[in-house]
Amino acid sequence: MFKKLLATPYALFMALFVILPIIMIAVYAFTDAEGALDLIGNFQDLAKEPALGKVIKNSIIAGLSTAVICLLIGYPIAYYLTKAEFNRTGVLIGLFLVPMWVNFLLRMMSTKAVFTVLGIPMGMGTVIFGLCYEFLPFMIMPIYTTIQKIDKSFIEGANDLGATPTKAFWKITVPLSLPGVLSGLTMVIIPSITTFAVTEILSNGKLMLLGDFIYSLKAYNLNMASAISLALMILLGISMIITNRFNKDSEKGGGLW
Amino acid sequence: MEKDIKKQTTAKKENVKKESKQPAKKPVAKQAKPKQEKPKKENFIKELLKDSKKKAVEEPKSEYIIELQGLTKQYGTKTVVKNINLKIKKGEFVTFLGPSGCGKTTTLRMIAGFEIPTEGKVLFEGKDIAKLPPHKRPVNTVFQKYALFPHLNVFNNIAFGLKLKKIDVEYTKKTGEKAIKQVKLKDFLVDPATGVPDFSIADKDYYSYLEKGYVKLCKVKKTIDKITKKGKQSKTLNGYKYYINEKVRRALKIVGLSDYETRDVDSLSGGQQQRVAIARAIVNEPKVLLLDEPLGALDLKMRQEMQIELKEMHRTLGITFIYVTHDQEEALTMSDTVVVMKDGMICQEGTPIDIYNEPRTAYVADFIGESNILNGIMLDDYKVNMVGVDFDCVDAGFGQNTPVDVVIRPEDIEIKKKEKGQLSGVIQSSMFRGVHYEMVCLANGYEFTIHSTVEAPVGKEVDLYVAPENIQIMHKEHVDNTFPVKFLSNTTFDILDATYEFSPSACFENCEYDEENDILKINGEEYTLKGHEAKVKFNFYNIEMTDDEYAAPLAGNVDSMIYKGNHYLVDIKTDQGDHIYADTEYLWDKGDRVGIKIEPDKFKFVDCDFLKKETTPESVSEDKDTTKEA
Repeated sequence: MFKKLLATPYALFMALFVILPIIMIAVYAFTDAEGALDLIGNFQDLAKEPALGKVIKNSIIAGLSTAVICLLIGYPIAYYLTKAEFNRTGVLIGLFLVPMWVNFLLRMMSTKAVFTVLGIPMGMGTVIFGLCYEFLPFMIMPIYTTIQKIDKSFIEGANDLGATPTKAFWKITVPLSLPGVLSGLTMVIIPSITTFAVTEILSNGKLMLLGDFIYSLKAYNLNMASAISLALMILLGISMIITNRFNKDSEKGGGLW
Repeated sequence: MEKDIKKQTTAKKENVKKESKQPAKKPVAKQAKPKQEKPKKENFIKELLKDSKKKAVEEPKSEYIIELQGLTKQYGTKTVVKNINLKIKKGEFVTFLGPSGCGKTTTLRMIAGFEIPTEGKVLFEGKDIAKLPPHKRPVNTVFQKYALFPHLNVFNNIAFGLKLKKIDVEYTKKTGEKAIKQVKLKDFLVDPATGVPDFSIADKDYYSYLEKGYVKLCKVKKTIDKITKKGKQSKTLNGYKYYINEKVRRALKIVGLSDYETRDVDSLSGGQQQRVAIARAIVNEPKVLLLDEPLGALDLKMRQEMQIELKEMHRTLGITFIYVTHDQEEALTMSDTVVVMKDGMICQEGTPIDIYNEPRTAYVADFIGESNILNGIMLDDYKVNMVGVDFDCVDAGFGQNTPVDVVIRPEDIEIKKKEKGQLSGVIQSSMFRGVHYEMVCLANGYEFTIHSTVEAPVGKEVDLYVAPENIQIMHKEHVDNTFPVKFLSNTTFDILDATYEFSPSACFENCEYDEENDILKINGEEYTLKGHEAKVKFNFYNIEMTDDEYAAPLAGNVDSMIYKGNHYLVDIKTDQGDHIYADTEYLWDKGDRVGIKIEPDKFKFVDCDFLKKETTPESVSEDKDTTKEA
């Protein structure tokens, strides 16, 4: 009985800061400005919103390119970090994580300053650069942990059966590290399309992603902002379920989710 | 369930045997007159399956398939394998046997290619492959923890090697030079008219065959019945896939896991995973199969069953097996040759019977089977003294009054009525062990373990008899401890970075020592020992082992122990890796940390070059004899 009591603060916290906000979002999403029940009105308004199409398009472009670039840069880094000769003391992995300690806004501001000095025009390119810079560690970490968990004897087994080191990498390491890649992708795509400060700073407010869109809506249409948030949440939930199913198929790897 | 599988296996093995007995037609002959034979298209892959090995069969350049020459492996300053020389014949079943850390697995990994030797050669059919990466070696390994790929099912695990396989094809270039081309199985050429795969691409460039209308193996169609999850279905496979399918099916048949193709490897039991691991290795038809403690993770029953099956596989496949184990029973049961290893070196190699009956050292005797190991003195040829009694034996050539180790197997001691044996004793304990009774008899203060089908009751006075041919005499590996020392003063010296005190008058011959004035006289000459170097000897029985490592100048860990009837001979490994041997009546555990105490008057110094020449420092030889009485 006493043990159950100990859980009360957590339950309260969850109720106050997780469940209640979600309910509020749902309530706002399904009511109009006067508070009357309106199940589809907000979504209809959303569909009519002229800017939304462009925002979604931008989000997809920015999110996917960030994810792909992070994967292309992050996978080799994660792979070589697991090799003892490259990461004898763990210093190298530390170096990749240290930027995370610097305040995020500060980093973006200084990146912008560098771009300005170099005379590079602000736009999609700079935004993607900023997003990659910001979220690269989130790609490296899950891939690093999954690759590290792969039993060395699998690679030796593949070599023994006639696979060159390159073949063994593609046939053993890559498939077994897929769960890590999936978590990495989720951890990069979702935050990068819902962030707003990066676009604000690195495109001088010219470019809008979903995060910026919600941010801009909240000033005059809280209901529509809630509707789009709810839609995003449901989308996220579905993608998470798919990812988890994927993970279950190959239980050997361990992602972060 | 297991029994069913076994029945299947034996039945199927016979099939395999029959198939292999059919003489494989020489592909060269076929090429000469392909039109006349008109083999059916469907049959060509059968031919391929029969003779899928290299077309150019090289005559073995050496009668030994694997030869290790001076093989050494060091990790940093630690030497794991020391100068191993070994020759393995084609088709032999060789087992590396030894306790963990003896270097047996490292040796195997050097043959497999996972470790590059620091020194020495690994000859495969006379060619040095020591620096070749594992994927280029004609050997396959069954790993201790199987290492089955978790993301692939049974079929794909086994097919992994086949899909990567390349075949050496000899051909003659347009310029007339001969060359060897590696051809992927998939790209193998088949004559579309006859359906015969062409193993011998002579006189023409490989590609000119393609121009002639030859097709690649993967272009040929073949229909088979396949058991899928939906039941039996007809499926059309290309020739390459059919080939792989057939090979995998046969490998699974050999290990007794037919119809397991689509199973997930994680859903298999340990024994089944083991079988898949073996199938995955043998499907590639390696010339040498390496097995690294493959049965270690199985329970006893399963292990015994797999031992028999492995032995049977070895017989039917005719592949050379190199097996690593720490289980002496496993080694004796399965091998043609057993190689006993210790500390990275080979102690003895020979047939299981030789190793068991004629162990070369007490260590081997102790490691292989049960035995009574005793200190003895070889009085003369065919005469040995042990436990205070003279015995006849069949060994000679040890010299006179030489200290030796004597090994008597428990089943070789006969219990006789009083006054009918060589020594009398009292039965201390008796245990029923299924086939025999295991009895301990105390005679002349020594314990003898006896195996006999007839029980002697506890407390009974009996006589023991050992036939001369059952007394195995061997040289002692070590007679005493000898180490270089440096004197620090007239009463202290440094040995293995530790400082011991000694009393000079007891340790030097003809020595007087004035303690108050620190004056040392040997043979009348005065010496100051400080800074001089010599060697020190001390006997096993003069060492006192203590729990408290700080109570003694030198400490070490117990590395191994041999029971010698009334005491243990303990091998203590110091932190620097030196071995010190000590007699003790107490039983210590392997790995125990112990201090090594030696009384100041128990040292003998030899090789004292600083002494004037008229003295003979070799004064300790008579002291040796007292060793055995202790």
